[in-house]
Amino acid sequence: MASSSDVTPSAGNTPEPGTGPEGALAPEAAGAPTRRGRVRLRRAAVLAVPAAAVTAGLAILTAHGALGVQFAISGMPFTVTATELDGTGFAQFGGLDNMAEGSPNAGDTGGQVLVVTSVIKEAKLTKLCQSVDLGGTNLLITAGEGDTRVSATDLTTDSTFLSGDAAFNNIEIGNDASTLDKAGPKGRGPIGVFSQQADTVQIKNLRQTNYATTAGVFKLPGLKLRFSGSGC
Amino acid sequence: MPGDRAGFRAGFRRWRSGRPFWGGLLLTLAGAEVLFTMKASFEVVLHVGMQGVAGYLLPVVMLLCGLLALVNPSQRLFYSLIGVLASLGTWVTSNLGGFLVGLLLGCVGSCLVFGWLPDQEPRRDRRRRRKEARAARTAAPRPLEQRAGEPA
Repeated sequence: MASSSDVTPSAGNTPEPGTGPEGALAPEAAGAPTRRGRVRLRRAAVLAVPAAAVTAGLAILTAHGALGVQFAISGMPFTVTATELDGTGFAQFGGLDNMAEGSPNAGDTGGQVLVVTSVIKEAKLTKLCQSVDLGGTNLLITAGEGDTRVSATDLTTDSTFLSGDAAFNNIEIGNDASTLDKAGPKGRGPIGVFSQQADTVQIKNLRQTNYATTAGVFKLPGLKLRFSGSGC
Repeated sequence: MPGDRAGFRAGFRRWRSGRPFWGGLLLTLAGAEVLFTMKASFEVVLHVGMQGVAGYLLPVVMLLCGLLALVNPSQRLFYSLIGVLASLGTWVTSNLGGFLVGLLLGCVGSCLVFGWLPDQEPRRDRRRRRKEARAARTAAPRPLEQRAGEPA
């Protein structure tokens, strides 16, 4: 009878859900449990659909510049370029960045990188491009190519390289870094370090190689996120 | 020793069958990935203040939810909901959710944890289902009294 020939093998070799290629190797023990937990797709979809909707919503809000996102990157060098940066409340001082113990990015630097810390209280950027080298490929984030500019508050960057055509207003050069006041409490460095500060700053064709950006709350209108072979 | 390895594999599979393994693993990995893209020194975090702490808090919550879903599957609904919320929150606080990768992994992992149910019937693979369908078709033209005995 058809049914008996059908049922017997199904009891004998239990198909293992989700085991993949390694499932064929292990011999099936006689007393192995035939009932086991698994994912019910319809049930997972109950959570997946709203989660996907919220993800899309967040991305759209960010791309419209309505939602500020925060960057805190450290230890990986990344490049920031912009055709124009206008900032109010600018401070800059030297410093040493310490990498995490045994960081693979340390190389022969002993885990320390000499950096210039720039703090801008309020910054507006045109055609921001940010790229992170992920080894072989670059993650490219571009924004602010339309009418609305990228804005960032308390933008603190530790750069190893900084270039551009800069114009400062009311600049004070040679202050002790601990006495800076124009960029707020975050724009204050350690005692005894050379520094400079200015009321406003305008940098054209900005190009920075950074080791850390912290507490930069960015509003990124026209956000585009993609992988690319070349950086900014 | 091959015997030991087979025993280990069988034990691992038994352990895995009782918990939302892939979902918990993905959620844990997602938290680790977001943390990896941050790794700012603690000094910087304190300097930044509340916002900087949130950037670390959310991936840590993701990581813990993933681990807890593995060791304590009975509370998986709670962990998966907290996990998905934390994953979504990292978009704002932690480098666009670890440059999107951690956010997506975390959401997928949370959904898998959410959709997981213990003690299910073994899944029938497609070949077996097709075979059964064919058997049913060939069985159809049979005399009635034979089909009546079939345990549906």
